[in-house]
Amino acid sequence: MKQSETASQGHSLFTATGITKSFGFNSVLKGIDISVGEGEVLALIGGNGAGKSTLMKIIMGIYQPDEGSIFVAGERIHAYKPGISLSKGMYMVPQEPMLFPNMTVEENIIMGFHEKPAKLRKRLKEIMNEINWDLDIFRKAMSLSIAEQQLVEILRGLMRQARVLILDEPTSALTFDEVESLFKIVEDLKKKGIGIIYITHRLTEVFQIATHVAIMRDGVITLKGKISKFTRDMLVKGLLPPDCEEAKKQETKEIDYTGLKPAFELIHFSGYGFWDINLKIYPGEILGVAGLVGAGRTEMALTVFGRDKAISGQALLEGEDVTGLSTRAIMKAGINYVPEDRRLNGLFTISDVAANVTSSLVTGKTMGRVFINKKVEYEIARRYVEGFRIRITGLDQLSGSLSGGNQQKIVIGRSLATGPKLVILDEPTRGIDAAARKDVYGIIHKLKKQGVAVMLISSDMEEIVELSDRAVVVYRGRIRGELKKREITQAGLMAASFGVGEGKQVEI
Amino acid sequence: MRKILKSREINSFLFLAGLIFLVGLINPSFWQPVTIINCFNDSVVFTFLSAGIAFVILTGEIDVSIGAVLGLSAAVGATLLRDGYGIATALFAAVFVGTVVGVINGIGVAVLNIPSLIFTLGVNGVVRGIIYVYTKGAWVENLPADFTLMSNRILTKNVTYFYGAAVLVVIIGHFILTRTRKGKYFVAVGDNSAGATLVGIPANKIKILAYVLCGIFSSVAGMIYASRIGFITPTAGNGYEMKAIAACVLGGLSLTGGVGSLAGASIGAVIMSSISRILVFLGFSSDYDNTITGFLLLTIVVINTSAQNHTVRKNRHEILLARTAQKGGEKA
Repeated sequence: MKQSETASQGHSLFTATGITKSFGFNSVLKGIDISVGEGEVLALIGGNGAGKSTLMKIIMGIYQPDEGSIFVAGERIHAYKPGISLSKGMYMVPQEPMLFPNMTVEENIIMGFHEKPAKLRKRLKEIMNEINWDLDIFRKAMSLSIAEQQLVEILRGLMRQARVLILDEPTSALTFDEVESLFKIVEDLKKKGIGIIYITHRLTEVFQIATHVAIMRDGVITLKGKISKFTRDMLVKGLLPPDCEEAKKQETKEIDYTGLKPAFELIHFSGYGFWDINLKIYPGEILGVAGLVGAGRTEMALTVFGRDKAISGQALLEGEDVTGLSTRAIMKAGINYVPEDRRLNGLFTISDVAANVTSSLVTGKTMGRVFINKKVEYEIARRYVEGFRIRITGLDQLSGSLSGGNQQKIVIGRSLATGPKLVILDEPTRGIDAAARKDVYGIIHKLKKQGVAVMLISSDMEEIVELSDRAVVVYRGRIRGELKKREITQAGLMAASFGVGEGKQVEI
Repeated sequence: MRKILKSREINSFLFLAGLIFLVGLINPSFWQPVTIINCFNDSVVFTFLSAGIAFVILTGEIDVSIGAVLGLSAAVGATLLRDGYGIATALFAAVFVGTVVGVINGIGVAVLNIPSLIFTLGVNGVVRGIIYVYTKGAWVENLPADFTLMSNRILTKNVTYFYGAAVLVVIIGHFILTRTRKGKYFVAVGDNSAGATLVGIPANKIKILAYVLCGIFSSVAGMIYASRIGFITPTAGNGYEMKAIAACVLGGLSLTGGVGSLAGASIGAVIMSSISRILVFLGFSSDYDNTITGFLLLTIVVINTSAQNHTVRKNRHEILLARTAQKGGEKA
């Protein structure tokens, strides 16, 4: 890695070298070198799970690195802690600002200082004049937009004489106009000589605002330097695995769509977090829905599932309008949703395995009218446990004591027990081991063979490539590209997920 | 802006005024100044209790052990007085009881991270049990007359010394919480505990301090209770925690923390303790007292929580909508 490049614009305000960090056997950072100088904006880009948040926590002193050294303003800091990072002028503006909602802007900014309020107010006014920013400081934080809340956080940082500001995906909840004014603020801060680490998922922003760029993947920085040296395609390449041999596509034969009627269809479907979604899923087809966490895919799925209101558009199941039905009615109609966080949404951890597998049938009458027929319950459960190779000690084992992979198999197994027409799988293999992943893929293929339409939401591009018959990419709540089976490549998916290209024409 | 902040207390005050007005319409003898002033005088125990628990509620926690703390402090103080010790000694012993329980509550909630309702409920049981053991289940009686008469001494214009003292304490506490740097920490911790830690506020210490203050206030309330009633039963203060919490909510405090003031809590205390008096004036049995208190508490909490949920959902929707916003900014 070339170390010297970043120091060209000004003195180094912050430098970290050779940072490693592991949690147990999971090595998250594998030797990171990063540096920010005066007036520099370093864009830090990386997919989900690349290690960005861990690195930021180390920079703020919340985690201690296993190895490596940290220099602030040229001085090596040992025993780096949150208090020290703050006092040395590092300040992080979190993605969701941590304000006191019932206090005024002014109270929010001067809270936690030890000087006299009058002195603090004077300094605040000076800073606000300096960066030319005007806001009613007597408004309650509750009434501020996210953009304004971020500015309050930035002011908090400046009041602490911050020399380096970390902005964690600042634009993820901003409207277009707000993004423009944020960029103006960033320009002003740049002129003041403040160094900025700018974490983002939007490649287009990088060229607008950054002076330097660093790309992280799997705990290493794959690419860094002055922004002028790079093109978008080069950045996308940095995000991809080095030996990006395309993952083998299972069953190369393509589905013959002639004469097929879609099992499920979204027409101009809009809601909170997604906009104007058009897609079709055919019986026995796996539609991959790629994108980054926060792109609006989960919100879309939850809205289809009746957990939130749709704003406009239609959802059709076998031609019938199922828009705006209750979750109960949607499940009865034949749509099943397997959530991303199974511990939070999906699994009754203190019930036994049998009860979990059959829980979606409890409302029906299959298992007895009033009392649950244990025999029928165990019979159904046994069928799925054997079919899906769920490793348990017995059907009465408590589900909470199972491994993540086995839990996931139960949750998916449960959805199959209702004989659905459409199954929406949200990140079905996140955080589960390779063997369990294979079993889950097996279950997904079983669904497909049964003629169930499968919507596969995944941030794992490899998974999308491997399983999908067709794929769409969602970026900022909208569909960015639609790909036929032979067009799906990791590079294309990655580029479109970061807002570059339509997913097809990227050549690397 | 200041007006908005104050409006919660003013609302509570208007509610109290309206209540007095309405009751007077039905029974004009309620409108006599003595009757109204006595409503305030009688609220002195609840004023101390509510002000004490207000510290805890402002930090976003709860303390349901205050009724038992009141009972134990009263029993300990009264026993010493009966046995011939001075008032200062008795008060000191009572406050010591409140402090110890406050420290235990504070550690359980802030350090051990146990849900405050459960932890203080357990402490409530333990402390209530100690009262029975300490008094052997008997009443503490025959308190010296100079102690019991204290509660009747008039400061000025029918206002008792005790209520005067309560008002003074509330004003000082209110001033500290709203005007001093450290005082604002209480509200900050309740408003956003994680955010408070990030700006360097020692959130745990503040919570422990809140519980200690709450314990001390409950002990003082216990001593005043002893002076007013003249004897202590093992069940003294039973159920007072609900009334004190209701008083805080009526006074504009939010049970999620961060909103409200001691002044509001003390107005709520007057409303709360007036209810049984009002029932008598309206010709109802005071047996309805608890039902009405509970009903008021539930009504306000349900309204507040629904409003809050609505705001949370609206904010989330706004954030999500902003994500999909497009204005020809980024071209493919």
